[in-house]
Amino acid sequence: MALAALVAACGPVEQPSGARPATKVFRYAMDQAPTTLDPVQGANIYANFVIVNAYDTLYSYKYLARPYELKPNLAADFPTIAPDGLVYTFRLKKGVRFIDDPAFPAGRGREVVAEDLIYSIKRQFDPRNQPQGAWLWQGRIAGLEEWKAAGSDYDQPVSGLRALDSHTLEIRLLRPYPQLVATLAQGFAAVVPREAVDKYGKGLGVRPVGSGPFKLVSYDTARVVMERNPNFRQEPVDLAYEGYDPATQAFSGVEAIQGRSPPFVDRLEFNFINEPSASWTSFTKGDEIQYTVLPIEQVERVLASKRPVTLRPEYADKYHIYAGLEAGFIFTAFNMDFPDFGYNPDPERERRNKALRCAIIKGYDWQGRNESWYNGLGQVFPGVIVPASPEFDPDLSLASVSRDVAGARQLLRDNGWTPRNLPKLVYGTTAGTTERLNFEQFRAWMGDIGFPREKVVQKTYANFGDISRAWKRNQLPLVAKGWGLDYPDAENTLQLFYGPNGSPGSNDANWENPEFDRLYDEAAVMQPSDERTRLYRRMNQLVIDDCVAITGLSRTRIYLWHKDVIAVPDREILGGFWLKYADVVPAKPAGLTSRAAKGT
Amino acid sequence: MSAVALPEIPPARARGESLWRKAARKFARDRLGMVALGVVLAYFVAAVGVWLGWWAMGWPDLTGTKWEAVSGTHWFGTNIIGQDIFDRAIYSTATAFEVGLIVALVATAIGAILGGFAGFFAGTWIDEVLVWLMGVLDAIPFYLFVAAVAYALTDNPWAMHVAMISTFWVGTGRLIRGEVIKLRGMEYVEAAHSIGVPEVVIIFRHILPNTSHILLVQASVMFVGAIKAEVILSFLGLGIKDGMSWGLMIDESTKEVLAGFYNNFLAASLLMFGLVMAFNAVADALQDALDPRKVG
Amino acid sequence: MEILQYALRKLLGGLPLIVGVTLVSFALMVYFGPDMTYLLLGKNPTPEQILEVRQQLGYDQPFLQRYLGFLREIVTLDFGVASTGEPVTALLAKTIPVSLILILPGFILGHVVGLLMALAAAYWRGRWLDKLIMAVAVTGMSISFLIVIIGFQIVLSSSDGLDLFPVRGWNSTSLGSYLTYVTVPTLATMFVALGYETRFYRSIIVEEMSRDHVRTARAFGLPESRIFFRNILKNCLIPIITRIMFSIPQVAIGGALLIESYFGIPGVGKATYEAIITGDQPVLKAVVSLTAILFVLVVVLTDILYRAVDPRVTIE
Repeated sequence: MALAALVAACGPVEQPSGARPATKVFRYAMDQAPTTLDPVQGANIYANFVIVNAYDTLYSYKYLARPYELKPNLAADFPTIAPDGLVYTFRLKKGVRFIDDPAFPAGRGREVVAEDLIYSIKRQFDPRNQPQGAWLWQGRIAGLEEWKAAGSDYDQPVSGLRALDSHTLEIRLLRPYPQLVATLAQGFAAVVPREAVDKYGKGLGVRPVGSGPFKLVSYDTARVVMERNPNFRQEPVDLAYEGYDPATQAFSGVEAIQGRSPPFVDRLEFNFINEPSASWTSFTKGDEIQYTVLPIEQVERVLASKRPVTLRPEYADKYHIYAGLEAGFIFTAFNMDFPDFGYNPDPERERRNKALRCAIIKGYDWQGRNESWYNGLGQVFPGVIVPASPEFDPDLSLASVSRDVAGARQLLRDNGWTPRNLPKLVYGTTAGTTERLNFEQFRAWMGDIGFPREKVVQKTYANFGDISRAWKRNQLPLVAKGWGLDYPDAENTLQLFYGPNGSPGSNDANWENPEFDRLYDEAAVMQPSDERTRLYRRMNQLVIDDCVAITGLSRTRIYLWHKDVIAVPDREILGGFWLKYADVVPAKPAGLTSRAAKGT
Repeated sequence: MSAVALPEIPPARARGESLWRKAARKFARDRLGMVALGVVLAYFVAAVGVWLGWWAMGWPDLTGTKWEAVSGTHWFGTNIIGQDIFDRAIYSTATAFEVGLIVALVATAIGAILGGFAGFFAGTWIDEVLVWLMGVLDAIPFYLFVAAVAYALTDNPWAMHVAMISTFWVGTGRLIRGEVIKLRGMEYVEAAHSIGVPEVVIIFRHILPNTSHILLVQASVMFVGAIKAEVILSFLGLGIKDGMSWGLMIDESTKEVLAGFYNNFLAASLLMFGLVMAFNAVADALQDALDPRKVG
Repeated sequence: MEILQYALRKLLGGLPLIVGVTLVSFALMVYFGPDMTYLLLGKNPTPEQILEVRQQLGYDQPFLQRYLGFLREIVTLDFGVASTGEPVTALLAKTIPVSLILILPGFILGHVVGLLMALAAAYWRGRWLDKLIMAVAVTGMSISFLIVIIGFQIVLSSSDGLDLFPVRGWNSTSLGSYLTYVTVPTLATMFVALGYETRFYRSIIVEEMSRDHVRTARAFGLPESRIFFRNILKNCLIPIITRIMFSIPQVAIGGALLIESYFGIPGVGKATYEAIITGDQPVLKAVVSLTAILFVLVVVLTDILYRAVDPRVTIE
């Protein structure tokens, strides 16, 4: 029996990396493993990276365009939208097939049709799937709620989702939803064939059956291995269309993929490496992972300069580098439901509370945080419209993110706050060294403006689920978190402060500002326009003026990859979509080929 | 082991005292043991200073910039947010003693009491239940059990201590149970029984004191075990909740060492190594000194 | 036949233990463990959605009902699917062998080398070699496992060190790749185990050596090797068997949690640990019951082994 177990351990399909020189292998790395590969639960970035390579989505993002731009993927084109903004008509590409799989008759993948997308969206409204993507379409697409209330029977139609023919889909909305197309570029909207769900059930989480550029070979907690989908549709790359900018992107050698059809590598590995140091050592070995996010700890050692980021010569010979600002931010919200510093029945206290919050914001040292944790490479900005949003205002005053200890102390004094009557600040984090040091930094800064040490306390939670529970149950006074944009639209961060989204929704601050809410309602149904941007910015100013959050900072991530890889990586909005464009130059002299690539 | 003790002499003390005196003499002759004891005492003084607030009180302050090198102001340099590593390392000494002492004392006490009861009532249902409990606790892999306890008690500052205590006592419990079964058959115990001394009194006054040499050695082993387990638990995110410890410093350092910043790693691991090594040596010397076969 | 009967009786006697282990672990890991609901929610959940997920996960049922359901699962050996969607049995079948072949070399080497060092120390008891070996053992015992792992990784695997082995990862498709991946974990495991094993073996060997029958044998001038195998080692077998047998559940289930998480090896220790953190009930339940059953099996097997080694041990 022991022998059998041993053989089983050696059994899986894996082959030693790089065993056959003819095979092009790209060994990618991420800092965490996905929890499942089923799009219905593909909430995190790790799952999404794999999902969008195994499945098709109607839309995706242009490979090289920054800021990010949507483009049709499985859809043949952008939808036609009725004048009232409530009816969208999508056309799908013809002849796209799912991968061959025993789930299909005769094991041969059938053509992808409009019904498949309808089925996939329905899955998000079936509680048995424990779905995570319903919030994208809830209250937006007509009939979904009713369908769910009637027991989520897949044979029943949804009034807002109709297949006009095998390749035409009509979506009817309850109210205008300008972000609809962007939601269809998310892993949640990946097209899943019903046959596969019927056959594998929950097993779909470890066995994707899609029509994407790659198909799964193996999946465990250490890595996912995929191989190219040989039947993936032929779509030659047009660099100009993809938003290629020779001035900033030519170094990558990406011109070599012009006119060729992705995917370019035969085998795609996702290695999951939690520890940055392990990731770095593995990357620098040469024959292990070929891509990494530069660990913060290595920055001083590896970079020759920070603005712009350049590598020291010994690394510049071997690696490419690219610095990208995150499409998201970190911030700390005051939970206004706590009368200690938020809403209070006593109007005088409420006024003093606001002064207290503003003083805490003044005492917060964003630059210090940026220096110690992000090597000064992050971007500190006021408010909640992040720099990666198209609506970002670069001219906004930095006063709300500049440290002013004297001003903070003055403000506290003027409003009758003394070390004795200051309330306790409870700072909730998950357990971990970084979180602990973040807290210790915060405590020290608050000490500078007059908080006694014992009045700034940390409350730790075992894992993200536990702290989420505390947020959702409205139990944490200070909510320190990060938010990643789901689509490049400031609505996605502004909704974090929209009154009706209060706990358990995403408005952890439980802030309710009538004017903000009114502006939000108004802007939510508008297509992108200067007018909408103006509304967004007014909302942003309200958040700043009311001192409801200490915000914010967008982190810069530095991507490094071996020179034998031709790619422009991204971890943000584009996410996993870029992997099908990655190519690997086989054989040894990497320097030679990259020179050749530059020469073309 | 023949019954030489007379019932009228309080047997526990007579036997105990001679054993302890001899052991102390023997220990004093053990040069390595004495040096190690000196080292442990030096650490203890450092810890007491922290408890009294004499030094290392600035451990949470941001007194420098990121990753400063060793200097006159920062003897071990500073960490990523500019805190003084020397202060943090010294403060952690106190934490180590706290964790080690609390776990060792409580676990020893529980092990002694439950082991004593099990041994005294061997053959009855009390023993069966206690042995069953020990079996159950033994059967669950240590780190998984500890992780589970720590998570079940999230946010409780004593979660880690409780987790360690609830597994550590079992070893002591088993040893004591075995020893008590041996002692139970001895004449003085039977004599006490026959003159109607209550069972609880017999256990606590006449039997357990005679296992004190085992308890002392066990406690010293657990002290070291607790300090070492704290490091692993901190790495797993299950460590102490408030304050600073070597485990937290080493956890901090796992991200730094490959970047060439070794101060946290060296400060914590060397200090910890010194204490654990010295304590191990003390425990060994104690064991030798208390071994009745060597003494008697 | 007698042994079989005995084994069966013992197995039945192990039932309370199984109930105990499952009850304690269930209460700790599943009932009071992390609530997975909030990991499964979307970004902007409504209270109804939260309720739905809790129902799906069975959190709304009372303790007893959930525990009984668990016992039913043990009897039918059907633990359902993990949160990844993978059947739990498949998950275990995949991860346990990895942990076994990961840990066995270090485990065996730790015992063998420890035994050899202990023999040398015991043979030259009180001399400088004994002192040296024991000093090395105490040193080894005094260094934290975590520090050993980090140290070995820097020295053997990093490009700043000798750069001989992969930094992390796992691949056991060929003997060559298996050896490259297993070496550093094995050395680290062995290094840590060595101190403990050496001390353990030395103490039992010294104890046996000082027994009368060994002295007598020596006095009769019997060859040392013969004394060693006939008189000493044979009598040491019982404590050795006990120690090795009872570390089997730890090795098979606990895996080398630290090694697996630091080196990113997909073994059962890491899988279980992740299940504890996230509250992945099906995985936890399966591991817990497997642990309990394995432990009882070990107890029974150990008893039988005792008898095989020393017929004087009677079966009560």
